[in-house]
Amino acid sequence: MTLPASRDRLGAVCDLVRDASEHSGFDERTNYACQLAVCEAVENIILHGYRDRSDGEIRIDLRSDPGRLTVEIVDDAPPFDPTRYRSDPNVSLQDPPVGGRGLLMIRRVMDAIDYERRRDRNHLRLTKTEAFAGA
Amino acid sequence: MEIKTQIYQRVTVVTVTGRIDSASASDLEAELKKQTEEGKLSLVLDLSGVEFLSSSGLRVLVTTLKLVRRSGGDLRLAQPSQRATDAIDLAGLDVLFQAFPDREAAIASF
Repeated sequence: MTLPASRDRLGAVCDLVRDASEHSGFDERTNYACQLAVCEAVENIILHGYRDRSDGEIRIDLRSDPGRLTVEIVDDAPPFDPTRYRSDPNVSLQDPPVGGRGLLMIRRVMDAIDYERRRDRNHLRLTKTEAFAGA
Repeated sequence: MEIKTQIYQRVTVVTVTGRIDSASASDLEAELKKQTEEGKLSLVLDLSGVEFLSSSGLRVLVTTLKLVRRSGGDLRLAQPSQRATDAIDLAGLDVLFQAFPDREAAIASF
């Protein structure tokens, strides 16, 4: 499915992931964690890749198998490889970070994160294979 | 997302229901900013009806927390839903917020 890169479509993205995750047989909590991770990735593309540009598009391909959910997100924003960034899980109580938590959330939920730049497009593949039991 | 604000003598309770993501976080930010600008620095955020909480929403919570704590206030959470709790934990921000099992306890903590 191809969607306009708009914040208003995040709910629709969540609905897609919810349905696919149900088909994979994941429990409610794992399902929600997958929605969170995919929406974080899509939000990153909208806010930082396209910088809220109105003509951007995002393609989302979902594949559900028993116990396995694969989500491929494709966009033609400038190259961004989230696997190259490390988010510090530790938080300073005196000066806590205001942003930058989305990548940490994706990493903590998903069991595999793969990135490729092909034909001027970012291809991000997120795979979930195990039940989420909390951070 | 729906926001309801109740002002008590010492504490202001902001109740949020629905989705908090980058499409709606600015509304929550505006409401919390309005309260802090009016000097309401003892804030309880009731998250019992939150169905989705992304990092954009968490950014608003952390920004407000830092702001009120600098002025001697605090932002405390009341009965966060499992979904809100999971998002806060996944972002590693659980150490920042005091959370209470119900809003009465959160109000009484001030």
